[in-house]
Amino acid sequence: MPDWAGPVAHYMLHEGLTTTLRIAAYAVVGSTVVGVLLGTLLTIRFWPLQALIRLYVEIWRGLPILVTIFLVYFALPTTPVIHHRFGAITGAAIGLILWGSAQVAEATRGAVQSIPSEQHEAASALGFGWIGRHRSVILPQALRRLLPPLVSLLANIIQNTTIASLIGVTELLATGQRSIERLQLTPPGNSHAFAIYAALLAAFFCISFPLTRLAIFLERRLV
Amino acid sequence: MTLVASFDWHFIWEHIPDFWTGLKATLKVAAIGIGGSLAIGIVLGAARAHRIPVLSWVAAIYVEVIRNTPILVQIFFIAGGLTQIPGHPIRLEPFTIAWLSVMIWGGAYNTENFRAGFEAVPWRYREAGLALGFSRVATFLNVTLPIGARIALPSSINTYVSVLKNTSLLTAIGFAELTDTAYSLESQSFKPSEVYFALGATYLLVVWTLSALVRLLERRLTIPEAR
Repeated sequence: MPDWAGPVAHYMLHEGLTTTLRIAAYAVVGSTVVGVLLGTLLTIRFWPLQALIRLYVEIWRGLPILVTIFLVYFALPTTPVIHHRFGAITGAAIGLILWGSAQVAEATRGAVQSIPSEQHEAASALGFGWIGRHRSVILPQALRRLLPPLVSLLANIIQNTTIASLIGVTELLATGQRSIERLQLTPPGNSHAFAIYAALLAAFFCISFPLTRLAIFLERRLV
Repeated sequence: MTLVASFDWHFIWEHIPDFWTGLKATLKVAAIGIGGSLAIGIVLGAARAHRIPVLSWVAAIYVEVIRNTPILVQIFFIAGGLTQIPGHPIRLEPFTIAWLSVMIWGGAYNTENFRAGFEAVPWRYREAGLALGFSRVATFLNVTLPIGARIALPSSINTYVSVLKNTSLLTAIGFAELTDTAYSLESQSFKPSEVYFALGATYLLVVWTLSALVRLLERRLTIPEAR
């Protein structure tokens, strides 16, 4: 390994990868919680509620994630609704959660509706209310069907955390770019951009490929 | 109601021409990207489904690499990495980088869409074509392609919409498409809520219109026996 590569790799893994995984963790947990809740509520036959959740899903699925993150990070703090500036990591995580929860809501609706109606009836006959029925009977079964799309979502979210670099978060991609700039400015002035971008592609591939394989495996096993 | 009151509608009205210029660039890049990914999808999807040696393996590697790496890193790799290949630098025009990167991304997803579509065509249809004396290529063009492409239609439509949305990431290399136009407008005017709400509304308008149009097309093209 050439001597420039050691410090660069150290910086990218310690500073960059940690931040990438941190944002991804926030985004996956947030998307799952919000998405499962909205997806379950979407199965209630009450049209104003359905229309509202549909609108939410269509908006955040329709917008490019970059535009969502710009809206959250730049536009939202200047409106009287949320008169509060937050950090770039929070802004990126919220943007990813809006997008991810829309995906999860769609998947949850399908998973909940795939549970036979006998399960609902049996749970009601046992005296469960709506909340108890969904928490103890329906959602645990729906989770089996939800697991493969959630693993795919994790892979997608890790890839999409790179968009956070555009609002100044020093995640993996940004640390790579800073390394390129620094190498360019220090003698002999070779930026090694090709090697560093190739390494970034390889790093993301090593994280994402096992996850997409796992999603395919779970899909075959569980559904 | 302070939100409505402080919102500068006049500013948006004044800058509609700017948004229109950006939107035209976005649509141009998206159209080339979508057309290219359609071609890549049919050719490589056919190679995958018919297990054509070498080409099928190359296509499989291409699909896995593109689908498992962030498109933003792919864009930077093409824009910044290829220019620094030791001894063999490749320099491309910004417009070329723009359509090439979204086309390569969409092509990978579309290869997978069309592979699944072609593989879903019942084997006996191809056998019938071959028995009627059609060559392998003619069987593909007259039997597998018309049926398989229709099976692949819903998933490939999602890919085309994603290609359009992904052009927003070209902001990162300073290509003046819709998002980049809004970004520069904001840095001159310091009106983030006006600029970005208008930007979001424009994207939703385009994406929802595109989705509605292709759903209409989808309904016309579905295989009659399927429903």
